[in-house]
This record gives sequence, structure tokens and C-alpha cells, in this order.
Amino acid sequence: MKVLIVEDEKTLAYEMEAFLKKSFYHCDLAHSFQSGVMQLELNQYDFILIDLSLPDGDGLEILKHAKKNNPEAVYIIITAKTNLKDRVMGLDLGADDYLAKPFYLLELQSRMQAIARRKFNITEDLIALGKFGVDIQKRLIVFSQQQIELSRKEFDLLSYLLLHKGRVLTRVQLSEHIWGTFVNDDYDSNYIDAHIKNIRKKLNAYSETDWLETVRGVGYRIKK
Amino acid sequence: MVIVLLFVLALPFLVKEIASQYANYTLKQQRKKVLSILKENGIDYYLRGEPNYGGYTLLKEEFIAFSPVGARVTVDTIKNSQRLIEGDTLNYRILSYSFRSKNRNYLMEIGKTDASINRYNKPLQRFTLYVLITLIVLTILIDLTFIRIIVKPLASIINTRLINKEFPFRTEHERIKTSTTDFKYLDESLVLLISQINEAFYKEREFTSNASHELMTPITILQNKMENLLAEESLDESSAIAIVEMMKTVDRLKKITSSLLLISRIENEQYIRKEQIKPLQLFHEIIEEIGHRFEEKNISLVLDISADAVLQDVNKDLMFQLFFNLIHNAIKFNRQDGTISVSGIFLNDGRYQINVCDSGIGIPNEDIPFIFNRFMKTNLNSQVGYGLGLAIVKSIAVYHRIKITVESGVDKGTTFKLIFKAEYA
Repeated sequence: MKVLIVEDEKTLAYEMEAFLKKSFYHCDLAHSFQSGVMQLELNQYDFILIDLSLPDGDGLEILKHAKKNNPEAVYIIITAKTNLKDRVMGLDLGADDYLAKPFYLLELQSRMQAIARRKFNITEDLIALGKFGVDIQKRLIVFSQQQIELSRKEFDLLSYLLLHKGRVLTRVQLSEHIWGTFVNDDYDSNYIDAHIKNIRKKLNAYSETDWLETVRGVGYRIKK
Repeated sequence: MVIVLLFVLALPFLVKEIASQYANYTLKQQRKKVLSILKENGIDYYLRGEPNYGGYTLLKEEFIAFSPVGARVTVDTIKNSQRLIEGDTLNYRILSYSFRSKNRNYLMEIGKTDASINRYNKPLQRFTLYVLITLIVLTILIDLTFIRIIVKPLASIINTRLINKEFPFRTEHERIKTSTTDFKYLDESLVLLISQINEAFYKEREFTSNASHELMTPITILQNKMENLLAEESLDESSAIAIVEMMKTVDRLKKITSSLLLISRIENEQYIRKEQIKPLQLFHEIIEEIGHRFEEKNISLVLDISADAVLQDVNKDLMFQLFFNLIHNAIKFNRQDGTISVSGIFLNDGRYQINVCDSGIGIPNEDIPFIFNRFMKTNLNSQVGYGLGLAIVKSIAVYHRIKITVESGVDKGTTFKLIFKAEYA
């Protein structure tokens, strides 16, 4: 999968590249409007990530430009501006998603995966998770044909961990994905742990859940 | 007014005094006349050989009398006294005067009845009173008209600049029409002050918005660097824990920044207030979002909101945020096994009120005026966050013209009361 990152903050672009590389994306970087337009004329991409505020031009212009050459790609707008007007304009011009700074790379990757699945109509069968099967689209978890009831938040948590199988997710990352940007200043609160405990309890009634691992002091991981 | 009243009260006395002074004066004039007649014609003009003389007018209102007296008697007085004239005893004001004529002393008495003296008192009093009243009424009318004309610019300054002002002030550049320098100066000073306040306010707003925007990119970089570091496979456990701690700190920074950004976006009116929501449904959504927190402290929730209640012309996301923050606080500052009650009341004047009441630790009285300030920290509880939750609540309430009040007592819990304007409910 080829990704073009148009981002004038070089450090940020490198971090995005480093993260996505690990998931086997191939990344090209453009640090200005000009180089972004040039790259788009030279190559075809599967994902195009565009920062709206570039020093030498408007990111929305790149979006218009890219749509002509590369209509099939997944477009994600990244910006520090979070006002409604920019957002609507971006989506009107055909962006698939809109990510406000600051964001977690994990969240970026999840959005990319989700859009790709939707856009390219990738239907996966049940993902095996120990002796359970999970259908992320249909939001189901089954044990030998029997559906198990999880609350909405519990399922969100489980599927997010599953999407990033093998990676340790911190409580902060999980909480931001599930509760979004609601002002939430209780860092000592253990509500993520409480949810994990509930998930384990509900699933343990059917089978072992040793695939769901607690990484001490860091967070949780679903083993590969 | 008091002076006028005193004058009116003193009027009978004054009129009487004037009448009596006037009577004395006429008596003296008469004496002068009589003396000049005597000088010209001699005493015999009156006496005609008789030793005494007495004459009076038809109604006995005035009399004149001459009588011889001893040489040692000298009088020149005006007194009130009684005289008997043809069987009638009457009160007279009498001028007594002794003089010599043809080597004999005579006493002249000229008298005027009290009744004749005071005859004009009543009509005079009445007339004075009428004139006085007319003058007073006239004065008041003229005063009022003039004052009104003179003070008109002041009234319009007060009306346009000061009355019913809502912050931020709208600046009207039109000056008040007046030729009075003082009023011009007052008006210009007020306009200047208002525009300075506005400028300071807008600058602060702009700064908050710019600063929070500018902080977003560096925060993203920090956050992403840590994520990448954490994904390193060679990472040992203690480094991983340190990175997680750093991530928490950056997350806090991020949340402060996004909260400030949210407040500045509300203040810049970037949200549309066009939706209508059912508070009952809203609270169900909030409870679903935050329900797990109730379990942590085993808090029970009483929700008493009518299914018919509808809030008009609001922004749903902001309403969610407002009540989410209030309920979040109600949980955070509650005690173990505490309660939270949310109730909706239709007020008599058509407005709708929502109360959020908790059984928590409460807010000390001296802190209540400051709880909506940004970054307010109470001394009571070190657990208190960076205090933007209620600042957000306040800015959302102001944006929707919701009246918000707080009642609280230490260890008695806290109640937030929100009154929605009639057109919203």
C-alpha cells in the first residue's frame, strides 16, 4: 500500500512514516504544496494524507488536484484547524475522513484501515480470537455459533485491540479512541481496567481469554 | 416646597400684619391731615366753642375726637382699645396724640374699627394663595420642560450606552447629538471605554484561539514520537512505563489545549444553535457514555425528566458536553455510595429548569463565585483537575442564554440549576 504524506512539519511527517512503515505501508513524503503536487503527478497512491495548512498553498487545492489524477485513493485531511467550515469543505471536495491534530498514529492507522475496508468492500470472515470469532463490521463475538453479549464500549475496546493485534495499546490511547475528546481528567481512574475485567469475565464463562494480555504499567495487547 | 408651605401657613398672619401696618400708616396720614387743618384753621374749626369734639362716620368705623388734657400729659401712641360710641362698644385701633393749641393741651384720638382694618384680609389671603399656586405650577412646568431638553443627551447616553448591555458590547459609532461639551466628553469617554473593553476581550479570545491552534502541531509530534518509541521491540519494561507516563502528561496538555480551543470556538460563535433535543434522551446518551463511572463509586442515579420536555434552538453537541461535564463532576466529587439526581421542572412563566444535584463533598462558600473561572483550583481537594470543565459549562450556558446558578455546602453536596429561556424550552 502506498501512502503520500503531505505535511510541512518534517518531524511529524517522519513519525507518521516510521509508524506506518511498521505496518508495511510504503510512504512518500512531501513537505510543501509544490512537492506535493509534483509527487502526485509522478505516482499513484492508495492513501493520501494532507495537512491543510502548508506554507506555500492551501491543502484543499492539493485535494482538488489529486482527485483528478488519483480518484481511487483514500483521502484523509489532517489539520490543526477544527472549525466546521474547513471540515465541511474538505468532505465536500471528496475527502474520506478528517483527523484533527493532535491525533494518535494508532487512530490514524485505524481510520485508514476502516476506510479502506469500506471503500474497497473488503468483507472479512470471522476473525479468530482464541476459540472465539469476531465480526468487526457486524459487531458480533461468537463462541461456537453462540453470540455473546458485550456492551457497546466493551466491544469497541475489544475490536480496537484486535485491529492492532500484537501491539500494546496504552490506556490513554484506548480511552481516546472510545471516549473521544470529552474532557476527562481522571488519570488515576481505572475505568479501562474495569471494562477489560468485564470483558474477561463475560468471555471466560465460555473459554479461556489468555490471548488478551495485560502489559504491566503500559496497557493491554492481544497476542499475535 | 417647604418654603412655599411655610409661606402659605404664615399667610394669615402676614396679611394681618400688613393690614395692621397699613392701618397705622393711614392713621398717621390722617393725623398729618388733621394737624395741617388745625394749623390752618385753629382748633376752633373743630370745637366751635365746645370744650370737646367727637365725630364719626356713618357706620362708626372711624372716629375723631378732641378733648382738653392737663399740661403734663404728652402721648403719641397707637393702641388697640375699646370705645363706647352711642351705646355700641367697639374695638378700635386708636392713635392718641397730644398737642398744644392756644395755650391749652388737647388730646387727639383718631380711631379705626378692627373690623374695617381686617376687612380685606380674607380676600387678600385667597388672592395671594391663587397667585402663588399658579406661579408654582408654572415654575414646575417650565423647569420640567427645560430639564428635559437640557438632560436629553444624558438620557440618550444612558439608554444607548449603559442600559441592558450584554457582554461583549456592540459598539455603535454614532455619537449622541448634543452641543454640551460635558455630555460630548462623557459620551466619547464611554464609547472609548467600551471599545477598549471589547478590544481586550477580542484580543484574549484571539490569543486563546491562536495559541491553542499553534500548540496542536507540537503536541502531535510529541505524541507520535512517543507512540513510535513505545512500539520499539527492544524497549525494556521500565522505559515503556516511563513513556506511558510521558504520554499521559502530553495527553493532559492536549486536553487542556482542546478545552481552551473549545471555549474559544464557543465564544467565537462557531456552533450552530438550530437543533431541538429531548433532554431525557440526552441524559440517556450521557449515562451510556459515562455509566461505568457510576459503578466505580456505587453511585445511584435518579432521573426525573419528562419525556415531553424539548429544548429548542440548541446545539446538541454542546448540550451534551454541558451536561456531561456536570454529571462527570457530580460523580467525581461524590462520595462512595452517593446519589445524583437530575430533575426537570416546567416553571410557571413557561421556562424550563434542569437541576443536577449530587451528594458530594460540596463547594466551600468562599469558592462558589470562582468555580466557573478557568483553571480554578479549590483548596479543599487536591484531586481537582485543571478546572476547565465548569468554564466550558459556563461558556456553553452563556452561548445558549441559559441562566446557571449553584447552591452548595461543604459535605452537603452541590446543585446546579439551569434555567432555559422560554423560547428554548
